[in-house]
Amino acid sequence: MEIINNSKEYDVIVVGSGAGGGMATKILSDAGLKIAVVEAGPYFDPANPDQMTQLKWPWESPRRGSGTTRAFGDFHMSYGDWEVDGEPYTVEKDTSFRWWRSRMLGGRTNHWGRISLRFGPKDFKSKDYDGLGENWPISYDDIKPYYDKLDKLIGVFGTKENIFNEPDGFFLPPPKPRLHELFYIKGARKSGVTVIPSRLSILTKRINNTRGVCFYCGQCDRSCSAYADFSSSSCYVIPSLKGGMVDLYTNSMVIEVKTDKNGRATGVSYINKDNGREYSIKGKVVVLAASACSSARILLNSKSKAHPNGLGNSSNLIGKYLHDTTGAGRTVFIPDLINRKTYNEDGVGGMHVYSPWWLDNKKLDFPRGYHIEIGRSFTMPEYGFGYNPNEFNKFFGLKVGGYGDKLRQDVKKYYGSTIGLSGRGEAIPREDNYCEIDPNTKDKWGVPVLKFRYKWSDYELKQAKHMHDTFEELAYNMGGIALGNKPTKEQKYGISAPGEIIHEVGTTRMGDDPYKSVVNKYERLHDVDNVFVVDAGPFVSQADKNPTWTIMALSWRTSEYIIDQLKKQNI
Amino acid sequence: MDRRESIKNILLGSIGSSVLLESCVSLDKEVLDKIWEYQYGRTPEEKERDEKFLNSKFFNENELKTIEKIANIILPPNEIGNINDAGVVEMFEFIAKDWSTPAHNNYGEKVLRRGVIVFDQLCTEKFGLKLLDCSESQIKLLFDEISYEDKSLKDQKESVKLFATFRGMVVTGYFTSEIGIKDLGYKGNTPNVWDGVPNDVLEQYKGIVSYDKEWIDKCIDQSKRGEIAEWDEEGNLLT
Ligand SMILES: Cc1cc2nc3c(=O)[nH]c(=O)nc-3n(C[C@H](O)[C@H](O)[C@H](O)COP(=O)(O)OP(=O)(O)OC[C@H]3O[C@@H](n4cnc5c(N)ncnc54)[C@H](O)[C@@H]3O)c2cc1C
Ligand code: SF4
Repeated sequence: MEIINNSKEYDVIVVGSGAGGGMATKILSDAGLKIAVVEAGPYFDPANPDQMTQLKWPWESPRRGSGTTRAFGDFHMSYGDWEVDGEPYTVEKDTSFRWWRSRMLGGRTNHWGRISLRFGPKDFKSKDYDGLGENWPISYDDIKPYYDKLDKLIGVFGTKENIFNEPDGFFLPPPKPRLHELFYIKGARKSGVTVIPSRLSILTKRINNTRGVCFYCGQCDRSCSAYADFSSSSCYVIPSLKGGMVDLYTNSMVIEVKTDKNGRATGVSYINKDNGREYSIKGKVVVLAASACSSARILLNSKSKAHPNGLGNSSNLIGKYLHDTTGAGRTVFIPDLINRKTYNEDGVGGMHVYSPWWLDNKKLDFPRGYHIEIGRSFTMPEYGFGYNPNEFNKFFGLKVGGYGDKLRQDVKKYYGSTIGLSGRGEAIPREDNYCEIDPNTKDKWGVPVLKFRYKWSDYELKQAKHMHDTFEELAYNMGGIALGNKPTKEQKYGISAPGEIIHEVGTTRMGDDPYKSVVNKYERLHDVDNVFVVDAGPFVSQADKNPTWTIMALSWRTSEYIIDQLKKQNI
Repeated sequence: MDRRESIKNILLGSIGSSVLLESCVSLDKEVLDKIWEYQYGRTPEEKERDEKFLNSKFFNENELKTIEKIANIILPPNEIGNINDAGVVEMFEFIAKDWSTPAHNNYGEKVLRRGVIVFDQLCTEKFGLKLLDCSESQIKLLFDEISYEDKSLKDQKESVKLFATFRGMVVTGYFTSEIGIKDLGYKGNTPNVWDGVPNDVLEQYKGIVSYDKEWIDKCIDQSKRGEIAEWDEEGNLLT
């Protein structure tokens, strides 16, 4: 196919506009560099009334919000989910991986949970504690200044707790707990489980004059039209466009990084999805932020004489050490919460309280920890509401089923009487969990796709087992009943399939040794001095926290490094 | 302030969506009205899918009437409204098409239409009449038999499973409608300022759960939500 060349040369080409790419775009363009942002999805602005789903009612959808075209329901703000039209991936037999992709300006940050946790000092050096995995080449102190700046720039609520491995930051005050969260607090305290206000990047208080303050609709997963929650679209890319230093290419799917005969990057080529044609643009520096697995795919597909294995892959480690957070969940029925008085308890779009990891692994049969997220049911009904309307009758010796006004009464009686508990834990990265190019399958543009191979080990399974033991204890101490049976060993203790927690990281891991890692501590490829990766690919280990605050702090740090190197004309 | 800002956004939303859809100028008024009803931030592909289904028929009149009658017995009308106000039958019609692919196991045909056929057959066996011609008390006699699972069976009878599905659809359809939400008492989906569980509710749970002062003192003082945040070097909030 003929490639259409653009003669303009950018200082930096940023591939992908999610958490990592948006951050880099802001910092690099603020520094006066000329940037191209190449994004596979369409333009998206949370405040665009034609795209907005915030504050819509379920009846405004003819399917009442059910998940036919969007996996997490009609109102969820993601274009693309486990499946993307015409862009398959494959999975090796007897292993599993589920890959969530969101193709739009801002990527997954338009609908993410806004849980914004710093990694702690231990998380960067966990091998020192248990001998497993690898240490990061950087420490908490290297990244702390960037977490601090991020807190102030974006805004995150939380409280100072002085817990060693849960570092405090520059917090906005959190919202008061909801009623069911008071039950959780009670149960957690009785169980000896730490419980503190959650830490979410939602503005409970104004941080500047361009973003609004949260008006408590509880719908951050629909993206906030007042820009009161963090999305890379509303907080980074859209404001950066106004500065005049950024050219945005949407619906533009990057295929490979182009290199010269010395193996240095000269730019990227991409498919314009509107006309199916291939284009190329030039840049002095290429920053990949297409998400951990997509960036790995681009690098592996960028084969040349200088890089026969794929760009930056002399170590053969691109795609390896892929790991996702572990997950298990349980619903708890609280008899004290039946026949609730109704009132507006939407709150912010996420939990108001949570439990960070609270135990010492020396006394446990598995390494690393997990945190507990708290879900609710006193929410706006959507499709699926009221199937099994009165199954809790069984706890009171009453008949389950029936119809008529009695049924209607039962629906109201049990509305809001359950609490969801989700454990989210740290897995041990392994070389034999990976993604690679599947030579036999191509997407609709003819580009080879990824194949995954992923299995949990005993470490993760035991962690999931511990989660369920904890959930049952918590349920009991809340005065509730954990629903369903505890999953057995054969049921893998109910652990989520790899990928399902959507925290996939590690595909281009960072290290000082070029034989054992793909990028250096500034997220630059060991093999090429002008290609960087600023998504979660460089993560050496994915802590018992959610990844995004760390993706962004690292991306900021890398961006400053790029600015410095360009200034010194080192690249 | 924020409240006004967000309300402005909501208004903008309705103006934005009142722009006429080019692709449906050629459609008749009834379909047009339907499409106008559903403006909820669709992508062009999603819009096309909705329009296609809103502009085609799955159930015949008889089937629709049968579903309506069943739904009215599962959730009878009350002072707030009824199944028709809640658009439950329209939802059946739409989902039958939306889920009529092999990926959904031909739900429309195999479950929803099948349900109508099976309930009709049972009525004919029992009363010699189609469901639509049965009296409400006759239909209730049937429903009394099929609306509870038989715990001794591992696999429930088809009629019991189908009834459970219809009941689920009716309850979901009703409680996701404007009147259903009113009936339920859900009060949110509107700009507000959350300042904790209301006092009368806390009163109700006295002795079970309560706020502790230390926790509440760390929470947002809502009178200062509009003031721009500033911190000292230790991260203590100053404003
Ligand atoms: C439902 C949900 C809830 C979540 N909740 C949390 C949470 O509470 N806390 C947390 O820390 N994390 C959470 N996450 C994870 C979080 O969203 C991700 O960690 C984060 O968005 C990753 O940032 P990224 O920049 O690597 O990728 P993304 O945000 O996915 O952005 C990647 C971008 O690159 C584009 N792209 C992909 N391929 C190409 C290509 N070839 N060419 C050009 N562009 C391309 C994509 O379209 C996309 O816009 C959640 C995720 C989901 C789905
Ligand atoms: S909960 Fe607050 S921040 Fe989230 S979408 Fe609603 S108003 Fe915006």
